[in-house]
Amino acid sequence: MGLDIRLPLGLLFLILGGILTVFGFVTRHSGLYARSLDVNLNLVWGLVMFVFGLAMYLVGRRQRWQDDPVNPRPWEKSGRN
Amino acid sequence: MTLSIIDWLIMLVYLIFVLGIGFALKRYMRTSNDFFLAGRSIPAWVCGLAFLSANLGAQEVIGMGASGAKYGINTSHFYWIGAVPAMIFVGIFMMPFYYGSRARSVPEYLRLRFDEKTRAVNAFSFAIMTVLSSGISMYAMALLIQTLGLFHGIIPDQYIFHVSVFLSAIIVLAYIFLGGLSSAIYNEVLQFFLIVAGFAPLVWIGLRNVGGWQGIKQSLPAAMTHSWQGMAHANTNSLGVEWIGLTMGLGFVLSFGYWCTDFLVIQRAMAADSEISARRVPLIAAVPKMFFPFLVILPGLIAVSLPSATAQLTTTPALSATTAPGIAGTGVAAAEAHPHGIVPLKINPFNGRPDVDSKGQPVYNYDLAIPTLLLHYFPTGILGLGLTALLASFMSGMAGNVTAFNTVWTYDIYQAHINKSATDEHYLWMGRMATIGGVLLSVAAAYAATSFNNIMDALQLVFSFVNAPLFATFLLGMFWKRTTGHAAFAGLLSGTSAALLHHGLTLPADAAPGIHGGWIAVLHNYSSDMAQNFWTAIFAFSVNLIVTAAVSLVTKPRDAEELVGLVYSLTPKPVEHHLEWYQKPSTLAFGVLAVLVILNLVFA
Repeated sequence: MGLDIRLPLGLLFLILGGILTVFGFVTRHSGLYARSLDVNLNLVWGLVMFVFGLAMYLVGRRQRWQDDPVNPRPWEKSGRN
Repeated sequence: MTLSIIDWLIMLVYLIFVLGIGFALKRYMRTSNDFFLAGRSIPAWVCGLAFLSANLGAQEVIGMGASGAKYGINTSHFYWIGAVPAMIFVGIFMMPFYYGSRARSVPEYLRLRFDEKTRAVNAFSFAIMTVLSSGISMYAMALLIQTLGLFHGIIPDQYIFHVSVFLSAIIVLAYIFLGGLSSAIYNEVLQFFLIVAGFAPLVWIGLRNVGGWQGIKQSLPAAMTHSWQGMAHANTNSLGVEWIGLTMGLGFVLSFGYWCTDFLVIQRAMAADSEISARRVPLIAAVPKMFFPFLVILPGLIAVSLPSATAQLTTTPALSATTAPGIAGTGVAAAEAHPHGIVPLKINPFNGRPDVDSKGQPVYNYDLAIPTLLLHYFPTGILGLGLTALLASFMSGMAGNVTAFNTVWTYDIYQAHINKSATDEHYLWMGRMATIGGVLLSVAAAYAATSFNNIMDALQLVFSFVNAPLFATFLLGMFWKRTTGHAAFAGLLSGTSAALLHHGLTLPADAAPGIHGGWIAVLHNYSSDMAQNFWTAIFAFSVNLIVTAAVSLVTKPRDAEELVGLVYSLTPKPVEHHLEWYQKPSTLAFGVLAVLVILNLVFA
């Protein structure tokens, strides 16, 4: 199939992780985290998901460049000029 | 339960992605091969995660959590004795025949190996079963949404169930209709990662709270924290099964019967891009599968380790009765004097009062172990993620059944019996129609489950009888060239009859004759219905094996040339010279087995 699953997967985790991270950061001083034993789960887990999403997205992008036989890769471009 | 805008946002983002994948894949669906087999072009790791995820429906997440809360860590036998060895076997030994024969479905393999009537038995029973399972998954999901009050205050309470059923039906229908099996597989990969992302923090916080595994060991009885303790005899462990019934019934007959012959999972491996990839698919799936007990069983143990709280949730029964082997109908074997932690009481949906058992004791609703734990620990924000994980698991279960149904319907029923020589375009159209039909039938099954709970239980029981002997047919078919079509057909029928007979003649402890067994006469009593279930499977398998072998010897076998690619001894071994040692499927298989032994020893 022409779609690399790592791209949507990476994007999904980037967005969900981003939402959780921002929300966790904004609410870091609120009483929201008493139920999760004072661990700011939104911030911590949001970051974990964000990093995972980023890794998936980048690997997916890199793979797509490799599958493209014609156009030079971004890192090759800068070397040649 | 009150959800904030953040929780809704997270669920919404997920749904947009689910549908977006369907739309993105729509333009690749040109032939029936694209729609039903994903063009046989998916990389092994993607198929592997889908292989795992398709089975990760309501039964797995809710049922295994419930079982963990009820029986303890010995629920892990469903993974460490059951699923994983079977997945290794199908990858190493059986996949070359499924993939290499170019059969498009498991029933079609039976057609190639045996004959049309053997395929028909398998295709019809499988088609009905998938629709029912998907309906029950839908029912369980709507019930959970209603119980948790997810739409409370947004939709009038009496409509919540209907809205949930139709919403889930439309979403699953849309993404399969558009992108077929590829869409289902891609979504199953998203669902897999979401389930892990939603449950891993739950286990992490839960373990912190109860003091880790040591803390659980201290607060629960020893029988719940040791998977092999007391397995020498049925009366000395919480499952009520002795080790022979466990290893033969669950470990061999039921698990191999499910993972090696069920088209729902095999279809994912058939979509792989090469035979070597197809062989890796179940092995790749086995790696995360080994560690799933920590995600789905451990939360159940954590829930019962916590100090009791007053029950505040209400629900109706039967969340845990769906597809995978053995677990269907696991009764309360040793529920007396059992810790129940924060697990709420089971509430009768008709009169709103707590249910009581025959001794007047209150009954706890273990199906709510994981949802209750989510609500207990998760603040708003990640709560949305946890609920998304639950929704994802229900949808992947449903979608798995629907994609398997539309393929078997189109290739093995419609093409085989109704319209033999239509254009490929027509079969693609038929597949899309079968998707709609399958979803509509699932909705009907979901509603049937609300009004006829016993009929659904009985139907599931009948299907367990149809499935129990199946593995013997495949085993003989693949590894003994003498096996004939008449023999396979006779064996399947007599195996199913043996299962019925065994069920009618035995009864689990504390059950009245009827749907639980003993409806002919009670010749033997088992200590639990799990033991009865396992032994039913052992009898069905053995009778099928003997009858198939015996009839094969007196019927005329097919010519050896016709069976090349279908039978082990007549098929060239898969070429592996070009692979490094670490790339070979067998290396992966040995690695998985080694970890499996370690896990069994650590938790013994």
